[in-house]
Amino acid sequence: MHSLNWLLIIIFLPLVGGLVLSVLRFKRRLYREVFVEGVVIATSILTYVLLYRPPLGSLVLLQITDTIQFALKMDGLARVFAGLIAGLWPFATLFAFQYMTHEGKENTFFVFYTMTFGVTLGVACSANAFTLYLFYELLTLVTLPLVMHAMDAASIKAGMTYIKYSIGGAAFGFVALVFLLPNGGNEFIYGGSLPFKTLGVSKDMMLLAYIFAFFGFGVKAAVFPFQGWLPKASVAPTPVTALLHAVAVVKSGVFAVMRITYYCFGAEYLRGTWAQSVVMIAALVTILFGSIQGVREQHIKRRLAYSTISNLSYILFGVTLMTPAGLLGGILHMVFHGVIKITLFFCAGAIMFQTHKEYVSEITGFGKKMPLVFGIFTIASLSIMGVPPFNGFVSKWYLATAAMKIGTPLALIGILFLLISGLLAAIYLFNIIMPAFFPIGGFDNEGLKKVHDPNWYMLVPLLVFTIAMIGFGIKSGPLVEFVEKIVNGVI
Amino acid sequence: MEFYKNFPFFTIVLAMAASMISGVLKGKYAKIITITVSGIIVVLSGYVFMETRAANESFIYLLGHSSAPWGNELRVGVLEAFTAFSFSIIFFISLLGGLDWNGQKGSGKKQNYMYIMFDLVLASMLVLIYTNDMFTAYVFIEINTIAACGLVASRQKGGALVATTKYLIMSLLGSGLFLIGLSLLYTITGQLLMPYLKQTLMEEFFSGAYIQIIPIIIGLFTIGLTMKSGLFPFYSWIPDLYSSASPSGSAMLSGLVSKAYIFLLIKLIYQVIGVEIWFASRITTILFIFGLIAMIFGSVMALIQKDIKRMVAYSSVAQIGYIYMGIGLATEFGIYAALFHVFSHGVSKALLFIAADGLSRSSDGSRQFDHLKGSGYRNIAAGIGFSIGSLSMIGIPLFAGFISKLNFAEASLQTPSKTVVTLIVLAISTLLNAVYFLRAVIVIYTPVSNDMTRTIGWRGEVKFKVAIAAFVALNFILGIASRPIMDIIAEGVSILGTSPIV
Amino acid sequence: MFMYKGMIVLSIFVPTIAGIGVFGLKSMEKAAIRNVVVTIVLVLNGCFSILMLNAPFDACILFYLTKEIPALFQVDRLSKLFGAITAALWICCGIFSFEYTKHEIDRRRYYGYLLITLGMVNGVCFAGNLPTLYMTFEMMSVVSTPLVLHSLEEDAVKAGMKYLFYSIGGASLALFGIVYLSTVVTSNQFMAGGTLDMAAVGGHTNLFLAMIFLCILGFGVKAGMFPFHGWLPTAHPVAPAPASALLSGVIAKAGVIAIMRVIFYTTGAEIIRGTWVQMTWIILAVISIFMGSMQAYREPLFKKRLAYSTVSQISYILVGLAVLNQAGFLGALLHTVFHAVIKGTSFLCAGAIMYKTNIVRVDGLNGIGKKMPVIMWSFIFSSLAIIGIPPTSGFVSKWFLAEGALASDLSFWSGFIPIILLVSALLTAGYMLPIIIHAFFPGPDYDYKGSTSLETSGLLVVPILVLGITTVVLGMFPGPLIRFISEIGQLVQ
Repeated sequence: MHSLNWLLIIIFLPLVGGLVLSVLRFKRRLYREVFVEGVVIATSILTYVLLYRPPLGSLVLLQITDTIQFALKMDGLARVFAGLIAGLWPFATLFAFQYMTHEGKENTFFVFYTMTFGVTLGVACSANAFTLYLFYELLTLVTLPLVMHAMDAASIKAGMTYIKYSIGGAAFGFVALVFLLPNGGNEFIYGGSLPFKTLGVSKDMMLLAYIFAFFGFGVKAAVFPFQGWLPKASVAPTPVTALLHAVAVVKSGVFAVMRITYYCFGAEYLRGTWAQSVVMIAALVTILFGSIQGVREQHIKRRLAYSTISNLSYILFGVTLMTPAGLLGGILHMVFHGVIKITLFFCAGAIMFQTHKEYVSEITGFGKKMPLVFGIFTIASLSIMGVPPFNGFVSKWYLATAAMKIGTPLALIGILFLLISGLLAAIYLFNIIMPAFFPIGGFDNEGLKKVHDPNWYMLVPLLVFTIAMIGFGIKSGPLVEFVEKIVNGVI
Repeated sequence: MEFYKNFPFFTIVLAMAASMISGVLKGKYAKIITITVSGIIVVLSGYVFMETRAANESFIYLLGHSSAPWGNELRVGVLEAFTAFSFSIIFFISLLGGLDWNGQKGSGKKQNYMYIMFDLVLASMLVLIYTNDMFTAYVFIEINTIAACGLVASRQKGGALVATTKYLIMSLLGSGLFLIGLSLLYTITGQLLMPYLKQTLMEEFFSGAYIQIIPIIIGLFTIGLTMKSGLFPFYSWIPDLYSSASPSGSAMLSGLVSKAYIFLLIKLIYQVIGVEIWFASRITTILFIFGLIAMIFGSVMALIQKDIKRMVAYSSVAQIGYIYMGIGLATEFGIYAALFHVFSHGVSKALLFIAADGLSRSSDGSRQFDHLKGSGYRNIAAGIGFSIGSLSMIGIPLFAGFISKLNFAEASLQTPSKTVVTLIVLAISTLLNAVYFLRAVIVIYTPVSNDMTRTIGWRGEVKFKVAIAAFVALNFILGIASRPIMDIIAEGVSILGTSPIV
Repeated sequence: MFMYKGMIVLSIFVPTIAGIGVFGLKSMEKAAIRNVVVTIVLVLNGCFSILMLNAPFDACILFYLTKEIPALFQVDRLSKLFGAITAALWICCGIFSFEYTKHEIDRRRYYGYLLITLGMVNGVCFAGNLPTLYMTFEMMSVVSTPLVLHSLEEDAVKAGMKYLFYSIGGASLALFGIVYLSTVVTSNQFMAGGTLDMAAVGGHTNLFLAMIFLCILGFGVKAGMFPFHGWLPTAHPVAPAPASALLSGVIAKAGVIAIMRVIFYTTGAEIIRGTWVQMTWIILAVISIFMGSMQAYREPLFKKRLAYSTVSQISYILVGLAVLNQAGFLGALLHTVFHAVIKGTSFLCAGAIMYKTNIVRVDGLNGIGKKMPVIMWSFIFSSLAIIGIPPTSGFVSKWFLAEGALASDLSFWSGFIPIILLVSALLTAGYMLPIIIHAFFPGPDYDYKGSTSLETSGLLVVPILVLGITTVVLGMFPGPLIRFISEIGQLVQ
């Protein structure tokens, strides 16, 4: 039936598929597309089957030392994250097929693209901190060739930056994990797996270890001051930026922080300590910093990257509230922002693909000829600003109410920053939308001749995501109930 | 006495015989003899290991009494057997990987010369592992040094000779210190065989007799051996030497030769000085500090290298720092970690050197990164090997290096005063390793346009590919199935400290 | 019952979908078809309004915003009132637009957004709880922006962006308060008198008060309250005149309605009586009254003058609410209605003048009364009303406002507010009367012989006339309206 072994399949199927692709080297593009999409869809279907009938217990892959083993499990949080990834990947792959026709070296690209799917699912299903660390490092390695795809000077530089930040961060995260080991905090158990009564080492040391873990794993979540790699990574082809750097990689970062905070150290342990203040302040600074930089940035993708930086810290803000309600808001935003951001990036990608324009000032008037793309961009923008009835409002609301319930000065400042960030988002997004629909001086019909909406490869994903944004906006109940079960420790 | 107990002696004799025979045979035959002999030694050592493990005790093998410089006793326990086994495996595969190339440019005479040295290195290594007598140890330290020099000098390139000279000077200094220490030890104890030395030393230590001299002796041994194994600040010969050697040579030098001295040091700690005295002395702190410095310094220097072999050599400087840091933690687990890293690094570094040579051979022999662009596509096996070696060095889980890192981190937890600084240095070191190794990997996989002068696409012979595959497999074994090996090490070390049966 | 629920939904969605249809359907390119469709929709909306005037209290849930909070719409007295004003003004401005936009580019876009905005304003009107109010408020701001920047000139686009960001900023500020309030109310629905759960507030009175103040401030941005009034004078000169009329007459009032919903339907008025929140609110409103009038007095651009006048007049309404008594409340809501009609008239007049003569400055209006008598007579009525001269409507509302101020137990303010009202009235006279005088008595330099009537189009004239007359009629027969509003007042206090 749905035994634990299926967890292995969903991780290894894409990995093996990618490796097979590197050997097969399809001659015709269509065959490759069918193969890749086939592997991806199969994995997604299997994942969703597992989501609905989750296997209990954990699957031990390898016993590394007496205390450390690599193991997988499918608890509530894993199901949410895996569901997000598996839900988006098939559509994103469709988009990528079309986009990469202009970029070249598609075979190599899809090898690593497919493998990343498996590795990300591995992150989701990790049963303990060391397994998470394993997949985390693998994620960096398997996405590196994607970042550097163009293999020109700028991409290689971006790749080196990516390495420095990611592996550096993971190294410090690793150090923190080692700390957890003798104190029994390796397993993921909701509420923390540290044995509070028998802890030998001082609390301050453990808190320091938590700080290391938070910032170490938080590098992937682009928390200040380690956010610098994300805008640079925008030189990658848009499918990479969209799926990986708005969804898979960065959400793995916040996911890891969630696991460390709620499932290793435990929120009870951390609440009210200086460590909580430090990490919350970092999240708050990032929220504001990201938004401000977004306003100043003129390159569309980099602007969206700064928006991502800011939004990731919304999630981290929720997480650092150290309450179930905060985690609820964080998880919701993780899911919703993933959908919103991928939509925004895909719209930018569609524009770039059709017209090769990358800067805000270059797309004036495009709204008239690409109404679908810009219309969807507008909906996604409203969502990220937190305007109902779209999904972004829901997560923002839960984050704000969670902070409001705590009521500490820091939490209230957090809500204020969330709102300021929403306003700044309005500014930097509407400064893209408005000139596109309402260019000063009217439309330049000559210049707009070549501009038109993309074909179904790109449109279908965009439409699906839009339906998701609206759908979750008006009917978020079931998902919220599910996540409530997670944060109350039921699943 | 069981027959297998003769094997250690046989292995040593075989190696020495091979070296002498290689001297008189033609180059081609010397090659065959050496590779065959080292293969046999692998098998023999393996058998010894299995038996010793089963018996779970160490034994003494007598070679007659006094006089002959061959020493009069060998001591074989689980750890020694395992070390001999693994070292001989690494030796064999390293030899295999560079077989078609060692001295390719030289005349037949030079080939001979090289194989003589290979055999001598093997023999002296085995002696250092098995010997129970201090003076024998000293003699073969010297032989090892000279063999290593010979190995590199036989290439007769300008750089090689300079490197060899540097190494010789530093090494002889080290041996000299060792000798002084040895003489002092003999003076105060009158013994040369290790078990008796230990006993006498213990008595004198507790009677308070030579309370000032004993630390000096410990210091002399330690510094002497650290000079020979290349701990900071005695590292300057490593980059030159390792990068000038032939492919097998670099692999062996970094993977085995330096490690043999480290192994000897550990033997001394357990069988001569006594573990408690060692842990109590302040020399451990000094080793710890220099180990940490080496970890950072080696990686920083590696960052700025433009030559791939020099970069890998500086990485060795850093890795030797890891090992000494482990020893310097002054705990049993620290020694386990250090020993594990001896094997793990041996495997990874040998892989890196062999692969690096493969890459440079398919780039017209150049070792500069500028010319190595895209070499991963020209020599696929070498590219894969280099990548895996790099990932191991960085410490990615599933590879040997991760287990080493984990061991060191866990070991540091037992000494609270040293924990934080160790962990921080480990983290920084990981990051630095990532930067220069991944940068190198990126370079070798940067595609070059086809109109660049395509070098003689030396794709590598079967032997090369087999060697790479073997090292990769070993790396994975150490990375995935490390528990049995850690058990062996733990067992072996505990036996090391006890008295053997005769 | 169901009928009224349905009408709420229809009054929101019919204009919205019709607006989208204007964009989407090919046939809408022809002005004739389009105008017919627009007229039908506006009239339909008017019918809904009238029908709903008789409706009992009713509510309907469209969907859920979060797990617990529904997107709730309800019809109560306040929404009937506001809905009626909206419908009436929209019809007038819509008809006016048919002629006016003949000089504008891309008229299709104009009508599309005009209709969608109507739908969204209806949404604000019928919003049944704070989160729903926030949603419709934001949507209204977003879809009304294209109306402001319609001409796509640089000034217009910049003004539009300013309007957008001020609006969104204000709403975000209010959202802070809304989030808080949602944690301390007993029900997620507007109830006259408030739904506050004091126990939930606990001892955090200061936080509570601060949150309410944020709501006032945030929604006050839309109402043009100092210090966030800046968007009004920028947006009005560049927007098409009918759009300006709607902006000043209806959309800005949405801010007022929102504040009312917060104070009278969520927290309850008592809670802020005598607190710094009330004080500050009054102070800011008073400053706006005075400053708006001063700026209007000095402003040479016609439409901008009217814009500053709006700033001032809406703050009359705010003051009336802020004194928290029956008279003030009555005066405030009366003025909401009256000012909508008055300002509608004024802006449409300005628009007609601009349409026919391209005159935008006040000093260019010499003798315009000769050329456009009907329009200017309507303007006279509206000016008298805005100054507050009986028997116009403005007099009635100002009377109640003054009464409310005097009756309030706010010592200093109960005397000061009426003084300010008086000063402002004088200033208002100062900035409105000269226009009229110059229009009808242009002085010796005017070329009397060359003046022909410019009032060629009924579409322009009739709406203005209707509105103009209403400004007076409402003043002479305020009874039903006063009764209606008093009922609201009784409920909330």
